[in-house]
Amino acid sequence: METISEQLTDALGIMILGMSLVFVFLGILILAMKLVAKKYAPVPQEKAADKPRQPAVSKPAVSPLMAAVIASAIHQHRQKA
Amino acid sequence: MEGLIAFWSESGIANFTPGQVLMMGIGCLLLFLAIGKGFEPLLLLPIGFGAILANIPNAGFTDEGGLLYFAYHVGIETGIFPLLIFMGVGALTDFGALIANPKMLLLGAAAQFGIFATLLGAIGLNLVPGFEFSMQDAAAIAIIGGADGPTAIFLASKLAPDLLGAIAVAAYSYMALVPLIQPPIMRLLTTESERKIKMEQLREVSKMEKIIFPLMVLGLTILFLPAATPLVGMFCLGNLMRESGVVDRLSNTAQNELINIVTIFLGLAVGSKLSADQFLQIETLGILVLGAVAFGIGTATGVLMAKLMSKLSGGKINPLLGAAGVSAVPMAARVVNKVGLEANNQNFLLMHAMGPNVAGVLGSAVAAGVLLAVLG
Repeated sequence: METISEQLTDALGIMILGMSLVFVFLGILILAMKLVAKKYAPVPQEKAADKPRQPAVSKPAVSPLMAAVIASAIHQHRQKA
Repeated sequence: MEGLIAFWSESGIANFTPGQVLMMGIGCLLLFLAIGKGFEPLLLLPIGFGAILANIPNAGFTDEGGLLYFAYHVGIETGIFPLLIFMGVGALTDFGALIANPKMLLLGAAAQFGIFATLLGAIGLNLVPGFEFSMQDAAAIAIIGGADGPTAIFLASKLAPDLLGAIAVAAYSYMALVPLIQPPIMRLLTTESERKIKMEQLREVSKMEKIIFPLMVLGLTILFLPAATPLVGMFCLGNLMRESGVVDRLSNTAQNELINIVTIFLGLAVGSKLSADQFLQIETLGILVLGAVAFGIGTATGVLMAKLMSKLSGGKINPLLGAAGVSAVPMAARVVNKVGLEANNQNFLLMHAMGPNVAGVLGSAVAAGVLLAVLG
Protein backbone atom coordinates (compact mmCIF):
# COMPACT_ATOMS: atom_id res chain seq x y z
CA MET A 1 0.00 0.00 0.00
CA GLU A 2 1.40 3.32 -1.06
CA THR A 3 1.51 6.09 1.48
CA ILE A 4 -1.02 8.85 1.09
CA SER A 5 1.61 11.40 0.16
CA GLU A 6 2.77 9.20 -2.71
CA GLN A 7 -0.82 8.79 -3.82
CA LEU A 8 -1.34 12.53 -3.64
CA THR A 9 1.73 13.09 -5.81
CA ASP A 10 0.36 10.57 -8.30
CA ALA A 11 -3.02 12.27 -8.30
CA LEU A 12 -1.37 15.65 -8.85
CA GLY A 13 0.53 14.17 -11.78
CA ILE A 14 -2.68 12.81 -13.30
CA MET A 15 -4.33 16.17 -12.75
CA ILE A 16 -1.64 18.08 -14.62
CA LEU A 17 -1.41 15.47 -17.37
CA GLY A 18 -5.19 15.23 -17.68
CA MET A 19 -5.85 18.95 -17.84
CA SER A 20 -3.08 19.53 -20.37
CA LEU A 21 -4.35 16.65 -22.52
CA VAL A 22 -7.92 17.96 -22.42
CA PHE A 23 -6.72 21.42 -23.44
CA VAL A 24 -4.38 20.14 -26.16
CA PHE A 25 -7.08 17.86 -27.58
CA LEU A 26 -9.75 20.51 -27.68
CA GLY A 27 -7.18 23.07 -28.86
CA ILE A 28 -6.34 20.92 -31.87
CA LEU A 29 -10.06 20.50 -32.46
CA ILE A 30 -10.47 24.30 -32.53
CA LEU A 31 -7.75 24.58 -35.18
CA ALA A 32 -9.30 21.79 -37.21
CA MET A 33 -12.73 23.40 -36.98
CA LYS A 34 -11.30 26.72 -38.17
CA LEU A 35 -9.74 24.98 -41.17
CA VAL A 36 -13.04 23.33 -42.05
CA ALA A 37 -14.85 26.64 -41.56
CA LYS A 38 -12.46 28.31 -44.04
CA LYS A 39 -13.45 25.87 -46.72
CA TYR A 40 -17.09 25.12 -45.96
CA ALA A 41 -18.52 28.02 -43.96
CA PRO A 42 -21.52 29.53 -45.76
CA VAL A 43 -20.33 32.37 -48.00
CA PRO A 44 -21.06 35.83 -46.61
CA GLN A 45 -22.69 36.80 -49.93
CA GLU A 46 -25.79 34.95 -48.70
CA LYS A 47 -25.88 37.42 -45.87
CA ALA A 48 -25.48 40.30 -48.30
CA ALA A 49 -28.42 38.93 -50.24
CA ASP A 50 -30.42 38.52 -47.02
CA LYS A 51 -29.73 41.93 -45.63
CA PRO A 52 -31.67 44.12 -48.03
CA ARG A 53 -34.57 41.70 -47.85
CA GLN A 54 -34.78 41.37 -44.08
CA PRO A 55 -35.47 44.95 -43.08
CA ALA A 56 -38.00 45.23 -45.88
CA VAL A 57 -39.95 42.26 -44.53
CA SER A 58 -39.45 42.41 -40.81
CA LYS A 59 -39.52 46.11 -40.01
CA PRO A 60 -43.05 47.01 -40.98
CA ALA A 61 -44.34 43.74 -39.53
CA VAL A 62 -43.65 44.72 -35.92
CA SER A 63 -42.32 48.16 -35.09
CA PRO A 64 -39.95 48.45 -32.11
CA LEU A 65 -42.59 50.36 -30.19
CA MET A 66 -45.18 47.68 -30.86
CA ALA A 67 -42.69 44.99 -29.83
CA ALA A 68 -42.06 46.78 -26.54
CA VAL A 69 -45.79 47.07 -25.89
CA ILE A 70 -46.33 43.37 -26.59
CA ALA A 71 -43.36 42.40 -24.44
CA SER A 72 -44.61 44.39 -21.47
CA ALA A 73 -48.13 43.00 -21.93
CA ILE A 74 -46.79 39.45 -21.90
CA HIS A 75 -44.71 40.28 -18.84
CA GLN A 76 -47.73 41.65 -16.96
CA HIS A 77 -49.83 38.68 -18.00
CA ARG A 78 -47.22 36.24 -16.74
CA GLN A 79 -46.88 38.05 -13.44
CA LYS A 80 -50.63 37.79 -12.93
CA ALA A 81 -50.55 34.06 -13.61
CA MET B 1 -50.10 -24.84 11.41
CA GLU B 2 -46.79 -25.85 9.91
CA GLY B 3 -47.89 -24.37 6.59
CA LEU B 4 -48.65 -21.10 8.34
CA ILE B 5 -45.20 -21.01 9.94
CA ALA B 6 -43.57 -21.79 6.63
CA PHE B 7 -45.59 -19.02 5.02
CA TRP B 8 -44.63 -16.61 7.79
CA SER B 9 -40.95 -17.48 7.56
CA GLU B 10 -41.03 -16.66 3.86
CA SER B 11 -42.88 -13.38 4.26
CA GLY B 12 -41.26 -10.00 3.82
CA ILE B 13 -42.06 -8.93 7.37
CA ALA B 14 -40.13 -11.81 8.93
CA ASN B 15 -37.09 -11.36 6.74
CA PHE B 16 -36.53 -7.61 6.62
CA THR B 17 -33.17 -6.40 7.83
CA PRO B 18 -32.93 -2.79 9.05
CA GLY B 19 -30.54 -2.01 6.16
CA GLN B 20 -33.09 -3.14 3.60
CA VAL B 21 -35.83 -1.05 5.15
CA LEU B 22 -33.55 1.97 5.13
CA MET B 23 -32.60 1.41 1.49
CA MET B 24 -36.26 1.10 0.54
CA GLY B 25 -36.71 4.42 2.29
CA ILE B 26 -33.95 5.86 0.10
CA GLY B 27 -35.68 4.36 -2.94
CA CYS B 28 -38.91 6.07 -1.88
CA LEU B 29 -37.00 9.32 -1.37
CA LEU B 30 -35.70 9.09 -4.95
CA LEU B 31 -39.25 8.42 -6.16
CA PHE B 32 -40.43 11.47 -4.24
CA LEU B 33 -37.68 13.64 -5.76
CA ALA B 34 -38.60 12.38 -9.23
CA ILE B 35 -42.38 12.62 -8.96
CA GLY B 36 -42.89 15.36 -6.39
CA LYS B 37 -39.99 17.64 -7.24
CA GLY B 38 -39.41 16.77 -10.89
CA PHE B 39 -35.67 16.12 -10.37
CA GLU B 40 -34.33 14.17 -13.39
CA PRO B 41 -37.49 12.00 -13.27
CA LEU B 42 -36.47 9.95 -16.31
CA LEU B 43 -33.65 8.42 -14.32
CA LEU B 44 -34.45 8.88 -10.67
CA LEU B 45 -37.82 7.14 -11.04
CA PRO B 46 -36.43 3.85 -12.39
CA ILE B 47 -33.40 4.10 -10.10
CA GLY B 48 -35.63 4.61 -7.06
CA PHE B 49 -37.90 1.75 -8.04
CA GLY B 50 -34.88 -0.45 -8.76
CA ALA B 51 -33.61 0.32 -5.27
CA ILE B 52 -36.91 -0.85 -3.79
CA LEU B 53 -36.93 -4.05 -5.89
CA ALA B 54 -33.32 -4.83 -5.06
CA ASN B 55 -33.98 -4.73 -1.34
CA ILE B 56 -36.98 -7.02 -1.18
CA PRO B 57 -36.06 -9.98 1.00
CA ASN B 58 -36.36 -13.41 -0.68
CA ALA B 59 -37.36 -11.94 -4.07
CA GLY B 60 -34.01 -12.66 -5.66
CA PHE B 61 -34.07 -9.81 -8.19
CA THR B 62 -30.36 -9.26 -7.77
CA ASP B 63 -29.35 -12.90 -7.24
CA GLU B 64 -27.91 -14.83 -10.11
CA GLY B 65 -30.74 -15.43 -12.58
CA GLY B 66 -32.81 -12.44 -11.41
CA LEU B 67 -33.97 -9.66 -13.71
CA LEU B 68 -31.86 -6.94 -12.16
CA TYR B 69 -28.87 -9.25 -12.03
CA PHE B 70 -29.03 -9.69 -15.80
CA ALA B 71 -29.83 -6.07 -16.50
CA TYR B 72 -26.70 -5.10 -14.59
CA HIS B 73 -24.41 -7.72 -16.08
CA VAL B 74 -25.58 -7.35 -19.65
CA GLY B 75 -25.92 -3.60 -19.72
CA ILE B 76 -23.69 -1.94 -17.18
CA GLU B 77 -20.82 -4.28 -16.43
CA THR B 78 -20.16 -4.42 -20.17
CA GLY B 79 -20.62 -0.68 -20.55
CA ILE B 80 -23.26 -1.15 -23.26
CA PHE B 81 -26.13 0.84 -21.71
CA PRO B 82 -24.20 4.05 -21.10
CA LEU B 83 -22.73 3.80 -24.60
CA LEU B 84 -26.16 3.38 -26.21
CA ILE B 85 -27.38 6.38 -24.24
CA PHE B 86 -24.38 8.30 -25.49
CA MET B 87 -25.33 7.45 -29.07
CA GLY B 88 -28.80 8.83 -28.39
CA VAL B 89 -27.36 11.97 -26.82
CA GLY B 90 -25.19 12.38 -29.93
CA ALA B 91 -28.30 12.13 -32.09
CA LEU B 92 -29.99 14.75 -29.89
CA THR B 93 -27.09 17.20 -29.94
CA ASP B 94 -26.86 20.11 -32.34
CA PHE B 95 -23.25 21.26 -32.57
CA GLY B 96 -24.19 24.32 -34.62
CA ALA B 97 -23.56 26.81 -31.82
CA LEU B 98 -20.14 25.31 -31.14
CA ILE B 99 -19.11 25.14 -34.80
CA ALA B 100 -20.05 28.79 -35.19
CA ASN B 101 -17.81 29.74 -32.26
CA PRO B 102 -15.09 27.09 -31.79
CA LYS B 103 -13.34 29.05 -29.00
CA MET B 104 -16.10 27.85 -26.69
CA LEU B 105 -14.31 24.51 -26.58
CA LEU B 106 -11.83 26.15 -24.20
CA LEU B 107 -14.64 26.68 -21.70
CA GLY B 108 -15.62 23.03 -22.00
CA ALA B 109 -12.00 22.17 -21.28
CA ALA B 110 -11.58 24.52 -18.32
CA ALA B 111 -14.68 23.21 -16.56
CA GLN B 112 -13.13 19.73 -16.49
CA PHE B 113 -10.73 20.99 -13.83
CA GLY B 114 -13.45 20.06 -11.35
CA ILE B 115 -12.87 16.40 -12.24
CA PHE B 116 -9.14 16.44 -11.69
CA ALA B 117 -9.27 18.61 -8.58
CA THR B 118 -11.73 16.12 -7.08
CA LEU B 119 -9.37 13.29 -7.90
CA LEU B 120 -6.91 15.00 -5.59
CA GLY B 121 -9.68 15.62 -3.04
CA ALA B 122 -10.78 11.97 -3.01
CA ILE B 123 -7.23 10.81 -2.35
CA GLY B 124 -6.88 13.54 0.28
CA LEU B 125 -9.99 12.17 1.98
CA ASN B 126 -8.00 9.01 2.72
CA LEU B 127 -6.41 11.02 5.53
CA VAL B 128 -9.75 10.79 7.32
CA PRO B 129 -10.07 7.47 9.12
CA GLY B 130 -12.68 5.19 7.54
CA PHE B 131 -11.95 6.21 3.95
CA GLU B 132 -9.83 4.06 1.72
CA PHE B 133 -10.23 5.15 -1.88
CA SER B 134 -7.87 3.62 -4.41
CA MET B 135 -6.76 5.77 -7.34
CA GLN B 136 -9.37 4.01 -9.50
CA ASP B 137 -12.12 4.74 -6.97
CA ALA B 138 -11.01 8.36 -6.79
CA ALA B 139 -11.12 8.71 -10.59
CA ALA B 140 -14.60 7.22 -10.79
CA ILE B 141 -15.84 9.58 -8.09
CA ALA B 142 -14.12 12.58 -9.67
CA ILE B 143 -15.92 12.10 -12.99
CA ILE B 144 -19.14 13.19 -11.24
CA GLY B 145 -17.68 16.67 -11.79
CA GLY B 146 -18.09 16.12 -15.52
CA ALA B 147 -21.85 16.36 -14.89
CA ASP B 148 -22.51 13.72 -17.48
CA GLY B 149 -24.49 10.69 -16.31
CA PRO B 150 -23.57 8.13 -18.99
CA THR B 151 -19.88 9.05 -18.81
CA ALA B 152 -19.91 8.70 -15.03
CA ILE B 153 -21.62 5.30 -15.18
CA PHE B 154 -19.31 4.09 -17.94
CA LEU B 155 -16.18 5.07 -16.06
CA ALA B 156 -17.45 3.77 -12.73
CA SER B 157 -18.36 0.41 -14.28
CA LYS B 158 -14.80 0.13 -15.60
CA LEU B 159 -12.82 1.47 -12.64
CA ALA B 160 -14.90 1.05 -9.47
CA PRO B 161 -17.99 -1.15 -9.93
CA ASP B 162 -18.50 -1.35 -6.16
CA LEU B 163 -19.14 2.37 -5.95
CA LEU B 164 -21.33 2.52 -9.04
CA GLY B 165 -24.67 2.93 -7.25
CA ALA B 166 -23.55 5.84 -5.13
CA ILE B 167 -21.71 7.50 -8.02
CA ALA B 168 -24.69 7.27 -10.38
CA VAL B 169 -27.12 8.56 -7.78
CA ALA B 170 -24.77 11.43 -6.93
CA ALA B 171 -24.19 12.29 -10.59
CA TYR B 172 -27.88 12.42 -11.48
CA SER B 173 -28.91 14.17 -8.27
CA TYR B 174 -26.38 16.93 -8.80
CA MET B 175 -27.38 17.30 -12.43
CA ALA B 176 -30.90 17.88 -11.18
CA LEU B 177 -29.54 20.40 -8.69
CA VAL B 178 -27.62 22.43 -11.30
CA PRO B 179 -30.12 25.34 -11.03
CA LEU B 180 -29.42 25.52 -7.30
CA ILE B 181 -25.66 24.83 -7.22
CA GLN B 182 -24.44 27.00 -10.08
CA PRO B 183 -26.02 30.47 -9.77
CA PRO B 184 -24.40 31.46 -6.43
CA ILE B 185 -20.96 30.50 -7.77
CA MET B 186 -21.62 32.38 -11.01
CA ARG B 187 -22.72 35.52 -9.19
CA LEU B 188 -19.80 35.35 -6.80
CA LEU B 189 -17.19 35.26 -9.56
CA THR B 190 -18.65 37.84 -11.96
CA THR B 191 -19.52 41.51 -11.69
CA GLU B 192 -22.90 42.94 -12.60
CA SER B 193 -21.47 44.67 -15.67
CA GLU B 194 -19.82 41.45 -16.86
CA ARG B 195 -23.11 39.61 -16.59
CA LYS B 196 -24.71 42.29 -18.76
CA ILE B 197 -22.37 41.73 -21.68
CA LYS B 198 -24.30 41.04 -24.86
CA MET B 199 -22.79 38.74 -27.43
CA GLU B 200 -22.70 39.01 -31.18
CA GLN B 201 -25.12 36.88 -33.10
CA LEU B 202 -23.68 33.52 -34.13
CA ARG B 203 -22.86 32.97 -37.77
CA GLU B 204 -24.68 30.50 -39.95
CA VAL B 205 -23.24 27.00 -40.15
CA SER B 206 -23.30 24.93 -43.32
CA LYS B 207 -24.54 21.36 -43.46
CA MET B 208 -21.12 20.25 -44.66
CA GLU B 209 -19.49 21.62 -41.50
CA LYS B 210 -22.00 19.76 -39.36
CA ILE B 211 -21.32 16.50 -41.17
CA ILE B 212 -17.55 16.87 -41.01
CA PHE B 213 -17.57 17.75 -37.31
CA PRO B 214 -18.34 14.31 -35.80
CA LEU B 215 -15.94 12.65 -38.22
CA MET B 216 -13.24 15.11 -37.24
CA VAL B 217 -13.81 14.56 -33.52
CA LEU B 218 -13.66 10.82 -34.06
CA GLY B 219 -10.49 11.13 -36.14
CA LEU B 220 -8.73 13.14 -33.44
CA THR B 221 -9.82 10.67 -30.77
CA ILE B 222 -8.48 7.78 -32.81
CA LEU B 223 -5.14 9.55 -33.18
CA PHE B 224 -4.65 10.83 -29.67
CA LEU B 225 -6.94 9.09 -27.22
CA PRO B 226 -8.15 5.66 -28.33
CA ALA B 227 -9.28 4.95 -24.75
CA ALA B 228 -12.06 7.49 -25.24
CA THR B 229 -13.28 6.01 -28.54
CA PRO B 230 -16.08 3.88 -27.03
CA LEU B 231 -17.71 7.03 -25.66
CA VAL B 232 -16.74 9.47 -28.39
CA GLY B 233 -17.30 6.93 -31.15
CA MET B 234 -20.90 6.19 -30.17
CA PHE B 235 -21.53 9.87 -29.62
CA CYS B 236 -20.19 10.72 -33.07
CA LEU B 237 -22.19 7.93 -34.68
CA GLY B 238 -25.39 9.33 -33.20
CA ASN B 239 -24.48 12.84 -34.30
CA LEU B 240 -23.54 11.79 -37.83
CA MET B 241 -26.86 9.94 -38.19
CA ARG B 242 -28.58 13.17 -37.21
CA GLU B 243 -26.62 15.56 -39.39
CA SER B 244 -26.19 13.42 -42.49
CA GLY B 245 -29.93 13.62 -43.08
CA VAL B 246 -30.02 10.32 -44.97
CA VAL B 247 -30.91 8.02 -42.06
CA ASP B 248 -33.67 9.91 -40.33
CA ARG B 249 -35.28 6.65 -39.25
CA LEU B 250 -32.15 5.52 -37.43
CA SER B 251 -31.57 8.96 -35.98
CA ASN B 252 -35.14 9.14 -34.71
CA THR B 253 -34.88 5.70 -33.14
CA ALA B 254 -31.60 6.56 -31.44
CA GLN B 255 -32.95 9.78 -29.95
CA ASN B 256 -36.39 8.43 -28.99
CA GLU B 257 -37.28 4.76 -28.66
CA LEU B 258 -33.81 3.34 -28.14
CA ILE B 259 -32.66 5.90 -25.60
CA ASN B 260 -35.97 5.50 -23.73
CA ILE B 261 -35.77 1.72 -23.59
CA VAL B 262 -32.16 1.78 -22.48
CA THR B 263 -32.95 4.46 -19.89
CA ILE B 264 -35.53 2.19 -18.23
CA PHE B 265 -33.08 -0.67 -17.87
CA LEU B 266 -30.13 1.53 -17.03
CA GLY B 267 -32.12 3.11 -14.22
CA LEU B 268 -33.28 -0.25 -12.87
CA ALA B 269 -29.81 -1.72 -13.07
CA VAL B 270 -28.25 1.26 -11.30
CA GLY B 271 -30.99 1.03 -8.68
CA SER B 272 -30.11 -2.62 -8.13
CA LYS B 273 -26.70 -1.46 -6.94
CA LEU B 274 -28.37 0.43 -4.12
CA SER B 275 -28.35 -2.55 -1.80
CA ALA B 276 -27.84 -2.00 1.88
CA ASP B 277 -24.43 -3.64 2.15
CA GLN B 278 -22.97 -1.60 -0.71
CA PHE B 279 -24.64 1.75 -0.17
CA LEU B 280 -24.84 2.16 3.60
CA GLN B 281 -21.17 2.91 4.06
CA ILE B 282 -19.18 5.91 5.07
CA GLU B 283 -17.72 6.03 1.55
CA THR B 284 -21.14 6.96 0.16
CA LEU B 285 -21.17 10.08 2.28
CA GLY B 286 -17.70 10.95 0.98
CA ILE B 287 -18.85 10.42 -2.61
CA LEU B 288 -21.83 12.73 -2.16
CA VAL B 289 -19.64 15.46 -0.67
CA LEU B 290 -16.88 15.06 -3.27
CA GLY B 291 -19.42 15.10 -6.09
CA ALA B 292 -20.81 18.44 -4.95
CA VAL B 293 -17.28 19.83 -4.62
CA ALA B 294 -16.38 18.57 -8.11
CA PHE B 295 -19.43 20.29 -9.55
CA GLY B 296 -18.70 23.56 -7.79
CA ILE B 297 -15.04 23.64 -8.82
CA GLY B 298 -15.91 22.82 -12.44
CA THR B 299 -18.41 25.66 -12.56
CA ALA B 300 -15.92 28.05 -10.99
CA THR B 301 -13.02 27.24 -13.31
CA GLY B 302 -15.33 27.48 -16.31
CA VAL B 303 -16.45 30.95 -15.25
CA LEU B 304 -12.87 32.04 -14.50
CA MET B 305 -11.72 30.85 -17.93
CA ALA B 306 -14.60 32.73 -19.54
CA LYS B 307 -13.58 35.84 -17.57
CA LEU B 308 -10.07 35.52 -18.92
CA MET B 309 -11.35 35.10 -22.46
CA SER B 310 -13.66 38.06 -21.94
CA LYS B 311 -10.71 40.25 -20.89
CA LEU B 312 -8.57 39.08 -23.80
CA SER B 313 -11.33 39.61 -26.34
CA GLY B 314 -12.01 43.12 -25.06
CA GLY B 315 -15.32 42.31 -23.38
CA LYS B 316 -17.01 40.41 -26.18
CA ILE B 317 -17.63 37.24 -24.18
CA ASN B 318 -20.04 37.04 -21.28
CA PRO B 319 -18.23 35.23 -18.44
CA LEU B 320 -21.43 33.50 -17.38
CA LEU B 321 -21.00 31.20 -20.39
CA GLY B 322 -18.17 29.45 -18.55
CA ALA B 323 -20.65 27.80 -16.19
CA ALA B 324 -22.16 25.92 -19.12
CA GLY B 325 -18.78 24.24 -19.67
CA VAL B 326 -19.73 21.49 -17.23
CA SER B 327 -21.93 19.37 -19.46
CA ALA B 328 -25.37 18.79 -17.87
CA VAL B 329 -27.00 19.52 -21.25
CA PRO B 330 -29.19 21.55 -21.55
CA MET B 331 -29.75 22.45 -17.92
CA ALA B 332 -26.49 24.34 -17.45
CA ALA B 333 -27.14 26.43 -20.57
CA ARG B 334 -30.61 27.29 -19.30
CA VAL B 335 -29.14 28.37 -15.97
CA VAL B 336 -26.68 30.65 -17.79
CA ASN B 337 -29.57 32.13 -19.76
CA LYS B 338 -31.56 32.73 -16.59
CA VAL B 339 -28.74 34.37 -14.65
CA GLY B 340 -27.95 36.49 -17.73
CA LEU B 341 -31.57 37.63 -17.97
CA GLU B 342 -31.53 38.64 -14.31
CA ALA B 343 -28.71 41.09 -15.05
CA ASN B 344 -30.19 42.35 -18.31
CA ASN B 345 -33.68 41.29 -19.29
CA GLN B 346 -32.93 41.70 -22.99
CA ASN B 347 -29.86 39.48 -22.94
CA PHE B 348 -30.62 36.00 -24.25
CA LEU B 349 -27.56 33.81 -23.80
CA LEU B 350 -29.17 30.42 -24.41
CA MET B 351 -27.84 29.82 -27.93
CA HIS B 352 -24.39 31.09 -26.96
CA ALA B 353 -24.35 28.86 -23.89
CA MET B 354 -25.17 25.78 -25.95
CA GLY B 355 -21.65 26.03 -27.45
CA PRO B 356 -19.71 25.56 -24.20
CA ASN B 357 -22.43 23.19 -23.03
CA VAL B 358 -21.87 20.63 -25.80
CA ALA B 359 -18.14 21.34 -25.57
CA GLY B 360 -18.44 20.18 -21.97
CA VAL B 361 -19.81 16.83 -23.15
CA LEU B 362 -16.76 16.38 -25.36
CA GLY B 363 -14.48 17.64 -22.60
CA SER B 364 -15.78 15.18 -20.03
CA ALA B 365 -15.59 12.31 -22.52
CA VAL B 366 -11.96 13.25 -23.19
CA ALA B 367 -11.26 13.51 -19.46
CA ALA B 368 -12.85 10.09 -18.96
CA GLY B 369 -10.64 8.75 -21.75
CA VAL B 370 -7.55 10.16 -20.07
CA LEU B 371 -8.50 8.59 -16.74
CA LEU B 372 -9.20 5.26 -18.44
CA ALA B 373 -5.93 5.35 -20.34
CA VAL B 374 -3.91 6.13 -17.22
CA LEU B 375 -5.72 3.96 -14.66
CA GLY B 376 -7.73 1.36 -16.57
